[in-house]
Amino acid sequence: MHNFKYALKTLFKNKMLIFWTFAFPIILGTFFNMAFSSIEENEKLNIIPIAIVETEELEDNKIIKETFKSLSEEENKDRLFDTTYTNLEEAKNLLDEEKIAGYLYVTDTPRVIIRKNGIEETILKQVTEEILETENMIANISEKKVEESINIAIQNKEEVDIEKIVANTVSEIVTKLDSFTANIENTSNSHLSYTMIEYYTLIAMACLYGGILGMVAINQNLANMSNNGKRVSISPTSKTKILLSSSFASFVTELLGVFLLFLYTIFVLKVDYGENLGLVLLLATVGSFAGLTLGIAISCACKVNENTKVGIIISVTMLGCFLSGMMGITMKYIVDTNIPFLNKINPANMITDGFYSLYYYDTLDRYCFNLFSLLFFSILMLMIAIYHLRRQKYDSI
Amino acid sequence: MTVFKTYLKVLNKCKAPILMYTIFLIFFGGFNLKSSDNQMSFSASKPDILIVNEDKEEGLTKHLIEYLEKNSEVKEIEASEEKINDALFYRDVNYVIYIPKNFRQDFLEHKNPKIEVKSTGDYMASLSEMHLSRYLKIASIYNETKTEEELIKNIEETLNHSLEIEMTTKLDTTGLEKASFYYNFTNYCLLAGCIYVICLILSSFKNEKINKRTIVSSMDYKKFNRSLLFSNSLFAFVLWLFYVLLSIILVGKVMFTTNGLFLILNSFVFTFCVLTIAFLLGNLVTNKNAVNGIVNVIALGSSFLCGAFVPMEFLPTTVLNIAHVLPSYYFIKNNEVIINIEAFHLETLKPVLFNMGILLLFSIFFIIITNIISSKKRKIA
Repeated sequence: MHNFKYALKTLFKNKMLIFWTFAFPIILGTFFNMAFSSIEENEKLNIIPIAIVETEELEDNKIIKETFKSLSEEENKDRLFDTTYTNLEEAKNLLDEEKIAGYLYVTDTPRVIIRKNGIEETILKQVTEEILETENMIANISEKKVEESINIAIQNKEEVDIEKIVANTVSEIVTKLDSFTANIENTSNSHLSYTMIEYYTLIAMACLYGGILGMVAINQNLANMSNNGKRVSISPTSKTKILLSSSFASFVTELLGVFLLFLYTIFVLKVDYGENLGLVLLLATVGSFAGLTLGIAISCACKVNENTKVGIIISVTMLGCFLSGMMGITMKYIVDTNIPFLNKINPANMITDGFYSLYYYDTLDRYCFNLFSLLFFSILMLMIAIYHLRRQKYDSI
Repeated sequence: MTVFKTYLKVLNKCKAPILMYTIFLIFFGGFNLKSSDNQMSFSASKPDILIVNEDKEEGLTKHLIEYLEKNSEVKEIEASEEKINDALFYRDVNYVIYIPKNFRQDFLEHKNPKIEVKSTGDYMASLSEMHLSRYLKIASIYNETKTEEELIKNIEETLNHSLEIEMTTKLDTTGLEKASFYYNFTNYCLLAGCIYVICLILSSFKNEKINKRTIVSSMDYKKFNRSLLFSNSLFAFVLWLFYVLLSIILVGKVMFTTNGLFLILNSFVFTFCVLTIAFLLGNLVTNKNAVNGIVNVIALGSSFLCGAFVPMEFLPTTVLNIAHVLPSYYFIKNNEVIINIEAFHLETLKPVLFNMGILLLFSIFFIIITNIISSKKRKIA
């Protein structure tokens, strides 16, 4: 208990340590939030600015005119375009200044003029093509219908009013077109916000950085690391007690850090961890424990100076976070699909993937798998640490 | 010469972080720059989709799949629901289409069978949904013909109506966008690399004992400072040159167009500005342990805020307003301006030169502050 108190005090006095474990994840989280907050909004289909050149041919082409008009109406909930009606000169200018994605120029045939390749341009093309196809379809069908009706009329020796027949068939098709809705049902999960992964890796990073805390605490007790350690080693207190209390002190400090980060991400950054907060906290606790044991194992197994140990822990953590998607979530997907083994042994990914499965999946299989992997990882690390710590004797240092 | 040699010695010790930042750059660069075919004519964007067909692939179903294949990139993914969900979440596919059993039969019998989809809800998914519903619409209108072959023939005929598209830009926009992406990313590498190395080296020269030894030595302190300055500038220059060469390897011949050359010039001006920042920080920070933290906060901070990682157009306006106080903002903004210039003359170059001017003003500002601080510090010593 005595040792626990002092271990806690030393940890909190170490400014560099507190920066890396407490402040750095929070700062990074703030940056993430600033950069990613509107990226997904921007990927959704927005209203596309376009222009239509007013020509005589456009006036004659009712279908094009009406369709674009209705697609640009503000009340239309499927509104696609923000259309400016203008002359050719002006449309060219607007395009050069990138105020519009492209413009429609109807002469003998309709043409779409764009500046570069892109998704907005493709949608403009798609819609215009759809209109042309509808035109073509109406022409095809009414041609047949009209022929049929004329034949019937001639057989019945009735008077033939071609105009009326054409008008009837066209309006018939148009009503059919309007009334038809493709029977498409969207069954995708509503939790699709991939930027969440960034915050999950952040938590994973904070958990694993906790390893530095574990390392510093253990170093205090290692005879080959510090004068303090020499003194502790020759004291009559049992080694198990000392190590356990120091590790526990660093675990408490780490949990405090992770907990602060949680509060910050939930209340300030509004990160969505799914519904089950209890499981989220359990995962974070186990994750912190894994980070701690990683630190302890590195600190016991690598006989190098303290700075190098910090370097090793930071690089292992950063590499792990990189593979689990901190610098671009595609990375996680690539590793998951191509080298799944690498992410199965990566503690950062176990934490990230655990949060992801809580957020995205309804079942808990994947979550449990990750949780047990983390526990297994921690036990493995502890075994490495114990193997290196037992029966340590120095004749001279 | 002594100073320079010592400089190189210390520099040799910081290889690892420089290497790390460079690997990041190559990885990100290479990752986003793959498949760099020049597209000077229009090519439609194709969404990535996945088709799970539970119907027999024949007749109308076959034709629908063929149509979708023509307009999208169809991905091959193991048909397990978990893999599909993962693929959707990580945007490997934008749209998943489940064609139900007996789709063809039901459709021909006017039952309008239900098609389940999964969508990411972004642009590409919307485009894909347009494709699908357009096909269904056309098919259902024609679905009064007598035979299936005739129906397919009619659909085919109508779908073949494509539109005339004209593209105005003479620039290789895809290539240039890649180049600007690369240079935006160097914002992080230059900042992190330069500041880290220069701060570490300056702080080792400022180590109390070493500093005292230098002061009592016969070497003129002006000469000492000058060679330190020279070595640091040389380092920054070499780092810049290295990144430029790397860009030529990764991005390719776009770098030799006028736009590309301006990108290089812009990054040179920015490197100078970074150098002055690094000098200022090197004079402020003497604790080696703090260097790492400061570097990360400054480099990551300005990269995130100014759009080095996430394109500027995706950033919220408030963030961009804050970013105005950072030099990186003008560097990245300039990259975006440069790649959109079609003809180079004074009028179009004005904003570019303006941004470069601001970068230079920043540099001068940092130099002045550095001088004030270092002269004060010397008096105390």
